[in-house]
Amino acid sequence: MKLRTFLVLSGLSFVLFVAVNLISWQLPLAIPQSAAAGKLVWQHHNCISCHTLFGNGGYVGEDLTHIVAKYSSSELVTYLVNPPVMRPNKHTLHPALSEPDAEQLVTYLEYVRTLPTLGWPPQPEKAGDYR
Amino acid sequence: MKLLRSLALAARPVQPEPHFRAQQFSRIYCLTAAGLFALQAIVAMLGALDLVIPDLPSPIPFEYGRAIHLGLAEMWPLIATMGMVYFFVTAELKREIYSPRLARWQFWLALAFTLSIYGTLALRIGNGREFLDGLPVLYLGLCSTLAVAVYNLLRTLLASGKQVTPAAVTMTVGMVFLLLLLLPNTIHYSNPIADEATKFWVVHLWEEMAFELTSAGFIAAFFITSGIAVRSQVEKWLYLEASFAVAAGLYSTGHHYYWIGFPAIWLAIGSLVSLLQVIPVGMLVHMTYKGLKAAKLTSKREKLTLWLVLSSLFYHVTGASLLGLLITVPWVNLYMHGTYVTSGHAHLALFGSLGFVVLAGCYYILSRGSEPSSRGYKAAVVAVVLLNVGLVIMGSALIVAGTLQSYLWRFLGNSFMQVSAVINPYLILRVLGGSLFALGDLLLFGVLFGAWRQTKAHPVGKP
Ligand code: HEC
Ligand code: HEM
Ligand code: HEM
Repeated sequence: MKLRTFLVLSGLSFVLFVAVNLISWQLPLAIPQSAAAGKLVWQHHNCISCHTLFGNGGYVGEDLTHIVAKYSSSELVTYLVNPPVMRPNKHTLHPALSEPDAEQLVTYLEYVRTLPTLGWPPQPEKAGDYR
Repeated sequence: MKLLRSLALAARPVQPEPHFRAQQFSRIYCLTAAGLFALQAIVAMLGALDLVIPDLPSPIPFEYGRAIHLGLAEMWPLIATMGMVYFFVTAELKREIYSPRLARWQFWLALAFTLSIYGTLALRIGNGREFLDGLPVLYLGLCSTLAVAVYNLLRTLLASGKQVTPAAVTMTVGMVFLLLLLLPNTIHYSNPIADEATKFWVVHLWEEMAFELTSAGFIAAFFITSGIAVRSQVEKWLYLEASFAVAAGLYSTGHHYYWIGFPAIWLAIGSLVSLLQVIPVGMLVHMTYKGLKAAKLTSKREKLTLWLVLSSLFYHVTGASLLGLLITVPWVNLYMHGTYVTSGHAHLALFGSLGFVVLAGCYYILSRGSEPSSRGYKAAVVAVVLLNVGLVIMGSALIVAGTLQSYLWRFLGNSFMQVSAVINPYLILRVLGGSLFALGDLLLFGVLFGAWRQTKAHPVGKP
């Protein structure tokens, strides 16, 4: 294969790749401002190191993609503002958020719930006790 | 210190090779990368212990420690690659780099930005993106160093005109892609789908495309310069292999797009193109196998380099390609995604196939002009064995832990925290494997440092 062929093929593949990505990541619903603010809270507190979102992230805590389906938003806000001891620790508490931050963050998680994840997270065979 | 000295002592100087200033600088890149690798093992051990010892006090909380570990996983291979590209491009083209001064500046910039990223993360200043945590402006800084590298390399290639070789072009294109793929990660996305996708332009495309190009270039250049393979043989395949790596690498990113909000067509694109990804791996293995059969291993230095390259190939085939293919099948991925299986694959593939080849290059470059003493050689072999045994234990423990998670949590629907308690023994096993790995890491750093000291005292072929 020639140098030119290699360069042309690589360049074209890359440009096409970027183009289909730009089309593919269009949001079904524009992200509301409060959810966008919640995303910043999410990033600021580094939740991703311990939790996965869309299955990507750390494996210390539960995946949070559809967490709002399991807890009401006020339950979640309470959890984050007055966090419990984080298992398996005996003393260390779960990271805490201020109330406004927690509310924005939960708005973000509610928004994430609306994204089309093609059936992920998988539905388990038997409904388990969630806690 | 004494140990380090004894590792390098009695090294015999060997035949000088042509020498360029760019090659002199590449040594500092390689030594720094080896140092960062040693640091990574230490940070990683603390993180792994944090996961299995409740209430472990730590100056850096787990979430930032993990971010530093993941940052290091990208950065030491990057810094080593910068140095290795300079080394092998000048060796290939038999000419000095366009601007040795730029090459030196690039090193200091890369080091400054890298250390700033870890320093700020240790102070809990980041931006909460997995693998790319740290202030975006620091990543912009890293882009600037890559831009310097690309400029310097392109000018060198242009100056060579018709003399450019496929290995030099492949490595340069790899560097161009490193830059192009990192750039979109220096801005903020409020669109979570775009945020996830661009992250994989580094997590996936750096590793499985850009570094694949630079590594293929090194291996080709190493085989050619050390006379293991005939130039025409290697060059016949190189552009074809590189084109495959680019096209298959790009579209196989689809296996990271399954569940992040991309359209369903990516399930098909991701899984089908991932199959093609195995082709360049096969070609690389083929090239190495042919080279090995023909090789007459007389020098311990080249033997050691080959041990490292062979370790890399082993994980390239197993932990990266075979395990990668298994978890690429959408029905499998549905259950294994977001479990420790991913972590097992990540360690086997990222260190196993990329890390080992980068270390091979670092060793080769740092030891140039010397031969290890028999003690040094033995120490290096012990290090390679420890790294391999440690990695296999670590990887297997993670795969078992992840498989249990997939079954008990994802498939049967037990609660996440219940299952976390069940897999704890495997995370302890991971720590044990990690300890062996970390020992091997520190020992190998000792060997590399020894080689550096030895050859620093006797610069070979210096004009
Ligand atoms: C150090 C790791 C760590 C960090 C950082 C962390 N979490 Fe957690 N999180 C956990 C663990 C472990 C649990 C489970 C605790 C338990 O059940 O005892 C948990 C539980 C939760 C739960 C309840 C889940 C359930 O199913 O009961 C929510 C919601 C949550 N975290 C949200 C967050 C958010 C939002 C952030 C970022 C501000 C965050 N976490 C940061 C480790 C972490
Ligand atoms: C050089 C080779 C490779 C390297 C360095 C590598 C590296 C990685 C890393 C670091 C991850 C973790 C990403 C994360 O945690 O979000 C990952 C995930 C993945 N890799 Fe690889 N990989 C390699 C080869 C392959 C190959 C050849 C395939 C398939 C053919 C593959 C398939 C996958 C899949 C499907 C995932 C996603 C797992 C999940 O999150 O469910 N990998 N890889
Ligand atoms: C002493 C050896 C090591 C130990 C004990 C170790 C430990 C850890 C720990 C505790 C985590 C976070 C939890 C997890 O995701 O599993 C992690 C993640 C990770 N480490 Fe390591 N690590 C080691 C070496 C390495 C090396 C050498 C590399 C690559 C160069 C590497 C790359 C990664 C990656 C890519 C992840 C993210 C995995 C994912 O998201 O799935 N690690 N490691």
